[in-house]
Amino acid sequence: MSDVTLRDVRKSFGAVEIIKGVDLDIKSGEFVVFVGPSGCGKSTLLRMIAGLETITAGDLAIGGDRMNEVDPSQRGIAMVFQSYALYPHMTVRENMGFALRFAGLPKAEIRKQVDEAARILELEPLMDRKPKALSGGQRQRVAIGRAIVRHPKVFLFDEPLSNLDAELRVHMRIEIAKLHRDLGATIIYVTHDQVEAMTLADKIVVLRSGVVEQVGAPLELYDNPANLFVAGFIGSPKMNFLKGVVEGGSAGRADIRLPDFGGAVVPVALKGELPAAGSPVTLGIRPSQFTETGDAALPVTVDMLEHLGSETLIYARSTASDLVTIASQSRSNIAMGDTMIARFPSSGALLFSADGKRIY
Amino acid sequence: MISYGFKQRIASVVVYIFLAVMAFLSIFPFLWMVIGATNTTSDIVKGKMTFGEAVVANATTFFTQVNAPLIFWNSAKITIIATVLTLLISSLAGYGFEIFSSRFREKLYTLMLLSLMIPFAALMIPLFMLMGKFGLINTHIAVVLPTVASAFIIFYFRQSTKAFPHELRDAARVDGLKEWQIFFLIYMPVMRSTYAAAFIIVFMTAWNSYLWPLIVLQSNETKTITLVISSLGSAYYPDYGVVMIGTVLATIPTLFVFFAMQRQFVEGMLGSVK
Repeated sequence: MSDVTLRDVRKSFGAVEIIKGVDLDIKSGEFVVFVGPSGCGKSTLLRMIAGLETITAGDLAIGGDRMNEVDPSQRGIAMVFQSYALYPHMTVRENMGFALRFAGLPKAEIRKQVDEAARILELEPLMDRKPKALSGGQRQRVAIGRAIVRHPKVFLFDEPLSNLDAELRVHMRIEIAKLHRDLGATIIYVTHDQVEAMTLADKIVVLRSGVVEQVGAPLELYDNPANLFVAGFIGSPKMNFLKGVVEGGSAGRADIRLPDFGGAVVPVALKGELPAAGSPVTLGIRPSQFTETGDAALPVTVDMLEHLGSETLIYARSTASDLVTIASQSRSNIAMGDTMIARFPSSGALLFSADGKRIY
Repeated sequence: MISYGFKQRIASVVVYIFLAVMAFLSIFPFLWMVIGATNTTSDIVKGKMTFGEAVVANATTFFTQVNAPLIFWNSAKITIIATVLTLLISSLAGYGFEIFSSRFREKLYTLMLLSLMIPFAALMIPLFMLMGKFGLINTHIAVVLPTVASAFIIFYFRQSTKAFPHELRDAARVDGLKEWQIFFLIYMPVMRSTYAAAFIIVFMTAWNSYLWPLIVLQSNETKTITLVISSLGSAYYPDYGVVMIGTVLATIPTLFVFFAMQRQFVEGMLGSVK
């Protein structure tokens, strides 16, 4: 069993609380991604799980055993670092076998396990090289190999692809996904790249300022963000947020007036109570939700165009200079400076209250 | 009108003339020492600056007057022990200052750096009395002990440790290493260029050390090469040829160490970790 459980886990540096009470259940074999902006505490939380940072309060259990005071090497974890952290004075083989040598395994057993990991990661021709003679991708594979040979209960990845170029990052992302499929191990992966989070994770944990904002499957977070922060963080290009005011409505429906878009009124389906008329709200629409046939219409002026081949990103402004991003699948003849009507189905819009909470 | 290329050439000529003068000033004492070792005292006093034929006579006199194996052994013993201990203790301190946080760390570090401002002359008498109390006068331990925790080398190691990747330490902890194992098995090999540069500095300082050994080493059996050469030069009728040959012989180990570790020295000065 390699479940990981966090109960009200906190971390303080002096008087400053960095992690403010995290509760989390990670099931055995799950690929969990911690995501959030810089300084949100995701790496600190990972380091606390690894045992590289002490836990100020709360409980951490791996495989059902409390691990708060256990040495990192005894927690059944292996970690892959952003800078690879390969020992520069050792060869690839020595790097991969180092932990096993320290665990007192016989030489023949170390060799067998290292060779097996090298085979999985296609590192065989590189075994006698030192890290400085390897490319970034190869170094990262060695770092993963070093983790594999320990047969850990939980793999911890701390922004492992950040130092790679875009092409290699995509390649390594696929490699890590395959590795998870083949090993079936529990993986906790930290990244600030929400594309990595969306493509790799079984479950995403969105963090902000040491607090878990939402936990869920990638598409669940994409479709049903709990608040403005998650809605803005998950999805690329970012969701559009339009300032609005509750005009009126009825049971299950709120009419939202958008003053910055010529007073356009958008009827939005509502789950809870209808907010009082005049309440400020935020309407969230993903760039990909704009279509030519939507029932809601926004008059905008095109500011900039980005032709990506498969789609065109239109950056447009309202009369009050609010920026709207529209992802268009068609290669229309729109030019910069043109005025246009951006349409979207009102049923797809999300509604957030003034304090950022989702009200639909 | 003077072209840009011509100005550049003039600037290069000026720079090279300046560098040549500086190089000559640096190398002149060595040249004078080597030439002096081949000449008689009277030739040296007259200012003769060409090689002579007295090298064998000077060497014979030197080896007759001086118990060369003993004084070289004394110097070597003191230098090696001082160098090994200084590198070990000062690098441990520098590593500790950089890696481990404490409320008193910076205050302690500042205090240690301030000790660099105290001239050795002010420490001589208290140190001598201390060594006397421990019964260490006229022993090589007395020469070595005050040098092993060098504030400058601690400073140098702390600065170099800033470039030591903290993730290596984390990786080692995950691999099961204790703090002392991280220091000896990861830090030391990774920082070998820093150690090489510090080795040269400490080795040369220990080998050339004069004032403190002069105070604490009082019998001929314990004296080092620098003390013996100095005593040769301060005789009533000093034989400068013999002094010069002694100086040449005393210079050989430091030259050997420097040239053997030149590459690492430069790397260490530029930063160990790439």
